[in-house]
Amino acid sequence: MSLVVRNALIALGITIALMVTIAFTVNYLNNARIAELSTIEDQLSIDTLSLDTQFSLLETAPCDSIASSTTLISSLADLGSRLSYTENQLGTDNAQVIRLKQQYSLLEIRDYLITKRLAAACKTKPVTVLYFYSNAGDCKDCDKAGYALSYLHDTYPTLRVYSFDYNLDLGALQTFIAINKVKQELPAFIINDKQYYGFTSLADLENQFPKGALSTSTSPR
Amino acid sequence: MLYAMSPEVAAYPFLFIAIFFESFVLVTLLSRPARAARARAADAATPSVAIIVPCWNEEKTVAATCESLLALQYPKNKLEIILVDDGSTDTTAHVMQQFVQYPGVKIITKENGGKHTALNAGIAATQAEFIGCLDADSFVEPDALHEIIPCFTDEKVAAVTAAMSVHQPKGILQNMQHAEYIFGITMRHSMSSINGLYVTPGPFSFYRHSVIKELGGFRYGHQTEDMEMALRIQRAGYKIENAVRARVYTKTPSTLATLIKQRTRWTSGFLRNVLGEYRGLIGNRVYGVLGVLILPGALLAIASSILLFFLALYQFTDHAVAAVSIRAGIPLSYAFIPHGSFDWFYFPANFFLLLGAVMLLASLLLITTGKRLSNTPGKLKAGFVSYLFLYGLVMPLWLLRATSDVAFGIRRGWRY
Repeated sequence: MSLVVRNALIALGITIALMVTIAFTVNYLNNARIAELSTIEDQLSIDTLSLDTQFSLLETAPCDSIASSTTLISSLADLGSRLSYTENQLGTDNAQVIRLKQQYSLLEIRDYLITKRLAAACKTKPVTVLYFYSNAGDCKDCDKAGYALSYLHDTYPTLRVYSFDYNLDLGALQTFIAINKVKQELPAFIINDKQYYGFTSLADLENQFPKGALSTSTSPR
Repeated sequence: MLYAMSPEVAAYPFLFIAIFFESFVLVTLLSRPARAARARAADAATPSVAIIVPCWNEEKTVAATCESLLALQYPKNKLEIILVDDGSTDTTAHVMQQFVQYPGVKIITKENGGKHTALNAGIAATQAEFIGCLDADSFVEPDALHEIIPCFTDEKVAAVTAAMSVHQPKGILQNMQHAEYIFGITMRHSMSSINGLYVTPGPFSFYRHSVIKELGGFRYGHQTEDMEMALRIQRAGYKIENAVRARVYTKTPSTLATLIKQRTRWTSGFLRNVLGEYRGLIGNRVYGVLGVLILPGALLAIASSILLFFLALYQFTDHAVAAVSIRAGIPLSYAFIPHGSFDWFYFPANFFLLLGAVMLLASLLLITTGKRLSNTPGKLKAGFVSYLFLYGLVMPLWLLRATSDVAFGIRRGWRY
């Protein structure tokens, strides 16, 4: 075997080894991301159940649960952000991403229901936004709407934004969509029980919020 | 599915080939022939040598070039310095006259006919055993010749190249070229050990006089006479060696416009020579690694660089348009300021990025190796940074221009 052929074969071996190492590294990091998401979801699941239980236990003074609820929505938003990033990295058809999205959607629905119960019991008026989007390529304004909601949430931290993939195969979510009579005209918003479809601009979206709802001093109560 | 069909995927084969080639250079560098070449000691032998300096309007640099040649550590009775004024229209001829007093210095004045005619005029004026060429904007280390001569021990060696770097690099562009030239030192040293060189650069390449005569002297080579001669040497079955410690410093373009002009000339010259008269070398096993790997690889590198440039441009434009579009109407104070703190979770470690990082690390390794092998003085930090961030952006500019020149038959002047 000539020196050149030998060197070429060694170089080919090194290149393949590097490729395999990179592939393993990417796979390892993606698995670590999924594992971290699972851990966060498990914790959130416990927190949600705890809040639910706390609410039941404190029937005489349910409003003591509000502090826990506020912490929960912040964790839920962080999870949503990480899940969205992972979805971008791994693709919308990734089985693990879909499973995590299903769990996340369930947590969102449960948190939304608890928030409503707390609001009713404690006479508070939290501003909630149910946002329905699609990744199936049939919603050209969903990216803009999502970014505008991120801006509103970061600017007004007390705003409770719940995002749902309209096409996600999850019984509870489909029931939730049916109960709220959300039409497949995406992006769709339910802002404090009032429906709103389409996204034209941030200003138009802001106009849909109750007066005084969007201020940095908005209280959750 | 859309993820799998990402445009990035089109770049993977080219990145694979680039990493393969860098690995090949490194492996070859560690092989016995390259190690033997590095172990070769400077020789005390002093055969007769003539160094030709072809000049065309080089009034600013020719004096310093001559002075560096006069400082060469070599017996003066064995060394001729032949200054050829190729019809300069500035004061080059006048500057040259300052050196006529030195023993061994010859001055030839002729009508302008191109670099190859100037070299041939110099060759015709000497009987020296070895002939060197030095562009009039380059300067040599005093011991360089003692490093070059031992490379001719093998009778099949027809030419020897030196270790070229940038003379006093200033500014981001020259520092970028400095890193690139030092990368070239490693490449040239590695490839010479398997006879894979296809260019004998103007700054301080040497030739065996008898072979030059046999091959008929220099010819017009699409403004890349040094490349044409190297290809002719290879086609004739001779070898081209490299003296990795023979340091020569050359002036390089300081503006983007002049850099693009220079590199357009080099690239179009390469394409015209290789796809023209020397097409028979491509893929031909008779010419060893040069025919099978180096020339096809160089052509592929041009094609892939252009493709990767357009791919990157498309990706960047696509992302930029999307980013601006989704931020429309959002206050600028929020839209274009990063949010949150660093979190490993968001580190974009995808296959494409890591592959690119490996390629860049390998490039940095090859640059560092070149500096160490040649003992080139000076610092490389600025060169590293500018090479990493700038080279990939500017290189496609001359590649595109050169390929379109060749495709449409456009010919440009030497200095246009």
